[in-house]
Amino acid sequence: MPPKSSAGKEKDLAAEEEVLQAVILADSFNKRFRPLTVGKPRCLLPICNATLLDWTFESLALAGVQEIFVICRSYADLVKKAIRESKWSRPSSGIKIVPIITAKETFSPGDAMRDIYTHGIITSDFVLVTGDLVSNIRIDEVVRVHKERRRTNKDAIMTMVVKESGFQHRTRSRGESGVFVLDPETSECLHYDSVVGYPPKTHAGIPREILAEHPEVEIRNDLIDCCIDVCSVEVPSLFQDNFDYADIRRDFVYGVLTSDLLIKNIHCYIAKEGYAARVADTRSYDAISKDILSRWTFPLVPDDNHPGGHAYEYLRGNKYIAKDNTVIMSRYVTARVGPNTLIGAHSSIADGASISGSVIGQRCKIGPGAVLKGAYIFDDTEIEAGALVENSIVGSGVRIGEGSTVRTGCLVADGVVLGKNARLARFDRVSRRRDLVDGESTDGEEDEEEWEMVEAHQDSVTSVLGEGSNAVVWPQSPSEDEDEEVDEVESYNNQRLMRIGDTASDLDLSDSGSVTEDESDSEDEDDASSIMNGFSRTSSMTSISLPDPSVSTIHNLQASAADSEFRSEVRQSLDRAFAEGHSVDNASVELKTLRMASNVPLRRVREAVVEAIVERIPIVEGDAAKQRVEITKIVARWGPLIDRIGGVDPVETVEVLANHCALSTRLPLFGQILVALYQADIVDEDDIRAWHASPSSEDEGIKPGPQREGLERCWNIGKMMIEQFDEQESDEESEESDGEEKVEKVERAPASKPEHKAESSEEESEGSEEESDEDEDEEEKVEEAPVTKPELKAVNSEEESEGSADEESEEGSGEEEESEEGSEESEEEAQVAKTAASTTKVTQTAPAPTSSTPAVATSIAPTALANTSSSTVSKTAAVAAPASKQAPVSVVASTAGTGSQRPAPSSASIAASALPAQAAVGAAAAAVPSGKSAAHDESEDEESEEESEEGSGSGSEEDSSEGGEATPAARHTGEDSSEEESE
Amino acid sequence: MSSDRAVPAARAVENLAAKLRRRQVVGSREAALETVLVLRQVVAKARFTNIDQLVSLLREVGKRLAEAQPKEHTVGNVVRKVLHNIREEYNTATKGAPPARNVFSISKFVLQGQPRKQIIAPKSESTLSLREDDPDDPDSFAKGLKPVLMEAIQDVLDELETVYDNVSKTAKDHIHSDEIILTIGHSKTVEAFLKSAGHYRNYTVIVAETGPSYSGHEMATSLSNAGISTFLVPDSSIYAIMSRVNKVIIGAHAILANGGMFAITGSLLAATAARAHSTPVVVVTGQFKLTPAWNLYHEYGALDFADPSSVLGYEEGPLVDKVDVINPYYDYVGPELVDVFITNDGDHPPSSIYRLVKESYDDEDQHL
Repeated sequence: MPPKSSAGKEKDLAAEEEVLQAVILADSFNKRFRPLTVGKPRCLLPICNATLLDWTFESLALAGVQEIFVICRSYADLVKKAIRESKWSRPSSGIKIVPIITAKETFSPGDAMRDIYTHGIITSDFVLVTGDLVSNIRIDEVVRVHKERRRTNKDAIMTMVVKESGFQHRTRSRGESGVFVLDPETSECLHYDSVVGYPPKTHAGIPREILAEHPEVEIRNDLIDCCIDVCSVEVPSLFQDNFDYADIRRDFVYGVLTSDLLIKNIHCYIAKEGYAARVADTRSYDAISKDILSRWTFPLVPDDNHPGGHAYEYLRGNKYIAKDNTVIMSRYVTARVGPNTLIGAHSSIADGASISGSVIGQRCKIGPGAVLKGAYIFDDTEIEAGALVENSIVGSGVRIGEGSTVRTGCLVADGVVLGKNARLARFDRVSRRRDLVDGESTDGEEDEEEWEMVEAHQDSVTSVLGEGSNAVVWPQSPSEDEDEEVDEVESYNNQRLMRIGDTASDLDLSDSGSVTEDESDSEDEDDASSIMNGFSRTSSMTSISLPDPSVSTIHNLQASAADSEFRSEVRQSLDRAFAEGHSVDNASVELKTLRMASNVPLRRVREAVVEAIVERIPIVEGDAAKQRVEITKIVARWGPLIDRIGGVDPVETVEVLANHCALSTRLPLFGQILVALYQADIVDEDDIRAWHASPSSEDEGIKPGPQREGLERCWNIGKMMIEQFDEQESDEESEESDGEEKVEKVERAPASKPEHKAESSEEESEGSEEESDEDEDEEEKVEEAPVTKPELKAVNSEEESEGSADEESEEGSGEEEESEEGSEESEEEAQVAKTAASTTKVTQTAPAPTSSTPAVATSIAPTALANTSSSTVSKTAAVAAPASKQAPVSVVASTAGTGSQRPAPSSASIAASALPAQAAVGAAAAAVPSGKSAAHDESEDEESEEESEEGSGSGSEEDSSEGGEATPAARHTGEDSSEEESE
Repeated sequence: MSSDRAVPAARAVENLAAKLRRRQVVGSREAALETVLVLRQVVAKARFTNIDQLVSLLREVGKRLAEAQPKEHTVGNVVRKVLHNIREEYNTATKGAPPARNVFSISKFVLQGQPRKQIIAPKSESTLSLREDDPDDPDSFAKGLKPVLMEAIQDVLDELETVYDNVSKTAKDHIHSDEIILTIGHSKTVEAFLKSAGHYRNYTVIVAETGPSYSGHEMATSLSNAGISTFLVPDSSIYAIMSRVNKVIIGAHAILANGGMFAITGSLLAATAARAHSTPVVVVTGQFKLTPAWNLYHEYGALDFADPSSVLGYEEGPLVDKVDVINPYYDYVGPELVDVFITNDGDHPPSSIYRLVKESYDDEDQHL
């Protein structure tokens, strides 16, 4: 203990410099404690005989907070009164507490934050907590770390305090938690995914970029989110800017972390020492009471630093009895007081009563022979003789009649009287009748409805309330007519996971892929087979979703509804833009807004825009030239919009275009549109090559049908275009030396045979239009080649073309000496030399037929790919292809149905099975950033050339053509057939 | 007492009370020092017209602080000591001669050595004309007395500040060359004592790890850095090595009037093992830890139970629900297990502690 004292001194010094502010959200914004919270706010419910608000104040005072703003909504008067009367408002407490009453329309923490913003009370970094916090964590330490970080990184806007707990901890909420993706070095929170208990969540999506950018990532599902956030001043204003943020975790943290517009960082502070938890529901009420009684919250324990100021004597077996000798209790002979019990002052316990694991308030009377097990009894309550109360919360001023039974999970509200021999069923919620809840006018019509529901329910009540009872029983299950959209977290079944005493063993919480262990034989352990169980015990793996829409829906499931709405919105918006001739700027702003409002990935926007443009092109039958003019017109006018939607990714654009054209009636226009885009500088040659090389440009993974055919056609058109590019370059060079030509061709468009190229270029009508751009490349080449071209043109997008051209010409020059026959080896060298540059190199020097069979590919890379089908291989390759950068990686908890997608099985699977929490993703993360490294690991015995090829997801070497692994049979046959045609 | 002047002092009291309650001030010497500083502030700001007012004021403050953290016994001790000194100063100032009872001081009686400090040194011999309850000048009494009061408080402060030096003065008389000493925990007093002996003697220290705090690790590092040959052993082997140990030297958290003491967990184990091997148990401690209290009924909560996290990690989710962990911070070591207390004011057997307590504090302050 001694080390703590010095820290205390430092804190004082630091506090003098700057006033540390804290904001308490005293309203819970949900109704989990109903009906206990009828007539008083949740933060005034007592836990271990001190109100939650007192515990929260104490936690903050421990951290040296000097100014506290309490944001209250419901029963604000009561909160204000409680604050005024508490010891905290005495001048000697050194804390200034300011209650702030928000409007009744504040329905979420987000609204409250917006309110804080409008009040303008926050002057510096502040601590944001909820009004139900029990903590002894040194928040001042967190604040210090936060401020230090802010000094170097202004974008670190928030530090969340989380507590390691193990995923099955009693205090960890089963119904509402989160998966944190952390960078272990900087403790930056890279991603957050909320988890609900029911329906059990089996997947957590992690954006691919995170894995690509961070060599080491921790995915943790074992943290208690204490809801202590150290926020910078920007945070309330961010809420203000994003009016749809409601929940701090699910909306704000998730939103900030996934937004590509807000470059803000959120960090986590994993508290190793200390205790912190939220009384978020009745279940955690139970758990935290137990934690307090078993002294996990030390020094915040009843006998030491009781926030309510009571004094308790600590007795053997974690028993706490009020110290002032006012507890009237017959000697232990007849009244059995078991372990983990707290008894408030002035209470009396009669002979033969038995109490264990319970908290009894002040001035309570426990009758003879009463049995209390795990009961939480507030002040002034009377439990008459022979009554039984177990695992329930009983409000203040309640009278439970003789011989009554209150079974597990009941909530009995303040002032209820239960008559003799009353029987409450499990999980019954009881309150006084509405007309008896005097004075406290039911606020708002919401409550009105609630009461009506309760009253309508009375006919079906099975519980016996006893004679002279003033109680009504609240309905248990959700009423059937509840058509309004209920928040997932607040859904009835999920709420059950947060209910005191509810084991929820009848809920199916294990996901299909997991095997629930029945190691726990006692009945109360069965609840452990919850979602977390499933989460930990099933092997999870990384499945890579292809950017193809049919596959990428994995991560989009929840967004599908919003997606369709978004599509129609975009369509309307674009229609309007086209019809009214908006400027591209305006249209793009509109699209960005739409995208943020419906929270869809960028790709959807791109799809929608491309679709709109394509569909806008009028079809001119029979006149190719006129058609081309139309296309050019539209593309020139609206093409730039594609790159103005918030991100530039020309490869994806081409891909989206192909996907769309494949199913559209405008399929024949694909080539011309592509050319038009090319001319408008929306895509350039390299992009087309990249798209062409990426396996997803083909029909991989798509069922045969019109779409597949369409895609094939698009792919072939693309091929022709590329050939044309090559053709033009090779034309130039052929002027110098004929011998070079072939090598060059093989290099640059290896997938095709030279003869074929020559012919195809003639077939293409738009070849002439591309010449101008082709010249650029040629000119670059000229620098190395001995002969120079006379005309030099202005060069657009120089870097890209330069890069590729340089490399190409290097190779070209390097291999000049080589004969055609020797090109095979020279290519190998070239591949080694290249890192990832032109992915279009699908070298195909070897006879195609052998390479096209998956079997051969498999035999070539036995270690890496032994048990995967050829389609899997192509997916591995897809990882590296830049086109698929956007696709998220999903950590899949259930093995079912995804087995075949396992890329590089040993290293890429995120080993959540072994450690639920600390899925040491080191290796896995390394595997994902690029398929390259995964392939590296596996194919050590392969030649390095092969690795680089796999990495780049393209080409092949040797006669087996590893690239062929990526290219399924269909592609080769396609090529072959085209070759045949051309010949 | 007008409230306006008392406010800062009252705030200081509240502040310290809160810190004590929140365990931001821990450790017996730390708590004692903070208390003296607060008391000095209170006396400096206090307005009183007679001694009773002052005493009741101080007692009130003392009560507040002692109740804030009953486990830090030194807080109450220091308050008692200050009250005792103040009364003596007052008596000296008003009646002239100091009471003669000091002649029978037990420390002179029992021990060869003289007390190193004359508590009742004739400091303020000057015949102050102190007039209590002077209606003409109500402040005159306070004005006249305050200098001596401050001096009395300063005495207590000095004692606390020099306690390590004074305790370790006799170290070389207790530790001889080639002895093997066993200690437990990381007591600053013991550390100073051993290091001081290390200047004169060549001996070996065995430090028990002292779970669950494992403060023995620090102790061992500190001692070996000072050039003392040191062994670190697990707690479980204390009994096994006891036969080779010449002396057990431990610190105390509080010394009770019956000669027993509260000391860090594991002390009872070491002391009992020492008893079994008839190895002498030496407790080194400052006299400010003398507490006029008993543990006759073995009050359970007195041992100060800390949180279980150092024994069972909170992350052991499934276990937390099923296991109740008891993690007492202190052991009660009875008087029969201790051979001698080495204090900053002489060496005393447990049986004479009661007498020391009686000398140090006034009877009326036993319950603040």
